[in-house]
Amino acid sequence: MKINISRQNIYLLVLSIVLLIFVLLFSFLTLIPEGKEYRIQRTELNKETLELKQLENFSAQTLERLQKLQSDNRHIISAFDASFNPERFEKQHRSFFNTLELAKKVQLENEDEFCVYEVNTTSQINSPKSFYDFLSAVNKSDWIIGINFPINFKRDAEMIRSSFTMKVYNNPKDSSGNKPLMK
Amino acid sequence: MKHSFILPRKKTPLTKELQLVLTFFGVTLFMLLLTYSFLLYKDYSFAEDKAQARIAKADLSANISVMKEKIRYIEQQNMFSETIFTKNSVLKDSIANLFDLVPQRITLSEASLLKNGLILYGITPNKDVYNFMLQAPLRSIFHRSYSSFYPAKNGWLRFVSTNYVDEEEEELNSED
Repeated sequence: MKINISRQNIYLLVLSIVLLIFVLLFSFLTLIPEGKEYRIQRTELNKETLELKQLENFSAQTLERLQKLQSDNRHIISAFDASFNPERFEKQHRSFFNTLELAKKVQLENEDEFCVYEVNTTSQINSPKSFYDFLSAVNKSDWIIGINFPINFKRDAEMIRSSFTMKVYNNPKDSSGNKPLMK
Repeated sequence: MKHSFILPRKKTPLTKELQLVLTFFGVTLFMLLLTYSFLLYKDYSFAEDKAQARIAKADLSANISVMKEKIRYIEQQNMFSETIFTKNSVLKDSIANLFDLVPQRITLSEASLLKNGLILYGITPNKDVYNFMLQAPLRSIFHRSYSSFYPAKNGWLRFVSTNYVDEEEEELNSED
């Protein structure tokens, strides 16, 4: 039996086989690896997006906490920022004393990252109660002030002459004299 | 002279079969290339998005670090100021307790509060009043108490009471 295939059909068959091989090669060598790469990239992007979302949530929580802390401690933060002003201090606390004199402030070594200034104070009071009131008021003043030893009380006719040392705490300044922005 | 009654059909290399094959493979190849282009574009887009996400993450991390540092500093300020305020309050109570300790029959002329001690100057009607009403409570508070007397003009006695707390013993007591 003789199979009669025309030359044209043979060309057609060869062309079909060539094209089929090209399609298969293209699919297996290029398209499928690219598809795998696509899936990997998509998984990685999903992972990155998820991490970003978590980080955004955490950032929002941290910001909320920071804002709450800032609003709750507004007085303390501004008190640490404020540089000590003797005239203002005298004006604010003169009512507790008959006389109040502040010596020049002297810078001491830093304590717990904070700048410390020492101010010697002499005053006259009517009764110890004035001094107790002053100690209560100093906690609400515009600066962070610790009353320090030695504290002297000496009778002076009908008055009590008192002298004590105050430590004023400030935020540290950088070398250029400016307060660090970050803090 | 004509040998046929019909015109010969034109011969073309694009036979119907070939057109069919070419159409089939053309469509197939077009779809494959379209898919490949889509994948390439998506890969590029994913890479871009990933890079942007990484930059955003780095920015956020830096921002979070700054905020954490601020929180730490505010908490430190808060704790430190609380310590200072507590010390001031304790000092106020200590001075109030000291003046409450002095009986009415004894008059103080001077008081020095030191970090680890107390020096009192005053006048007492006699030694017994001083010993029972002031010296005894002072001895219960301080580890070392010294007193000296000298006569005043009105027959009373002037006294100097020096009292110290031994810091080492104080530390041991606090550890216990």
